[in-house]
Amino acid sequence: MKSAIRALWMCVVLAGSYASAHHSFAMYDTNQLLTVSGTVKAFQWSNPHVILWLVDGPNASGASQLWTLELPTSPGVLTRMGWSKHSLQPGDRVIVQFNPLRSGEHGGSFRKATLVDGGKVLEVKLGPPAATPDSK
Amino acid sequence: MMKLVCCAIAIAFLLPGAAGASSEDPASHSVLDPAPRAKDWAALAKLPDWSGTWTPAPDDRAFPLGKNEPRWLPEIARQVEQRKADDAAGKPQNVFVNCLPEGMPSFTLMTVNAQEFLFTPGRVTILGEFDGNRLRRIYTDGRKHPDDPDLTFNGHSIGHWEGGTLVIDTVGFLPEVYLPLGQAVAIPNNGDMHIEERIHLVSADRLIDELVITAPRVLAEPWKISRSFVRSRERKFEIIEASCRQGDFFEDKDKDGNAVFVPVEHEQGGAPFPPTP
Repeated sequence: MKSAIRALWMCVVLAGSYASAHHSFAMYDTNQLLTVSGTVKAFQWSNPHVILWLVDGPNASGASQLWTLELPTSPGVLTRMGWSKHSLQPGDRVIVQFNPLRSGEHGGSFRKATLVDGGKVLEVKLGPPAATPDSK
Repeated sequence: MMKLVCCAIAIAFLLPGAAGASSEDPASHSVLDPAPRAKDWAALAKLPDWSGTWTPAPDDRAFPLGKNEPRWLPEIARQVEQRKADDAAGKPQNVFVNCLPEGMPSFTLMTVNAQEFLFTPGRVTILGEFDGNRLRRIYTDGRKHPDDPDLTFNGHSIGHWEGGTLVIDTVGFLPEVYLPLGQAVAIPNNGDMHIEERIHLVSADRLIDELVITAPRVLAEPWKISRSFVRSRERKFEIIEASCRQGDFFEDKDKDGNAVFVPVEHEQGGAPFPPTP
């Protein structure tokens, strides 16, 4: 399984790129709030959006899936909320709530993470009325 | 004969405008900025205290979309409604995806990040965190706008102080610079945009930037809009480096073990996702 995830990971990072930079979050379905449990693959502390790479499962048939869960803002804004690049670390087991991509791909807009060990809750509170799908 | 040719060449180089820069070319005029004197630095102490880090006020963080929209020309209004519909349908026409500067007025209206103000003799500099740490220079040394400025994303800004208010006048924008309502709802100014601003404190730690935007090729009337910012002196609020596209890449190693950025795949709307195996 590890080798399969590693192979998939290499596919991710070697795949063709479509520039995102500052983008609307309209491609995420805010009417759906999904939950996924898994292990942090990487916590990408990058501008303009931080990204949580998460491996779920394995499910009953032993399969796992890699997810990209995009946080709706940047390291600077997250730092001012008390986050840091160490808030989530590779290997952390977490339960994450997110708004899924409308396209059905395994990506989403991060809402909340709960660490399985210790129960710490991490949220992005942009504050009213900024928590819109257009937040960056 | 040879002497005549040599004389002709010499005259050509000596005559103004005969070779190289013309005396009528503004670029040929050398204007030196005087070195600041002690009294110029001392004068800065009389300006209002805008030190610290300024972030959009909690009650003024939203983008203009649905909050304060301008009156567009009819044809432009149709385009705006289409972009709104596309965004609402989950097919955003993102406008800030190419890493070019977002420019004014987006610098002020679209940030949710921090800004800071630097006062030096003859100039106010506004440093941003949004949009790749870009900045604005506002000349307060009494100069005029150039007659024929090179067009830029933030334009050419001159300012002066009226008491505690910094009054800024900006022209010289590229026509492609957007008038933004949101990340996926924006219209290029299409040329001749002019922005007037009044920036001042409204309380000890709250600052407002009041803008009047004139863009006759897309707006039916000047767009009056403001953005308020609140001050923090906490170090964790200080501006950090912020590139515009780092998130499009993942940090990995190449075949030789060197640290490299490799592209992450994105769907058409700009969201990252892993490929289906």
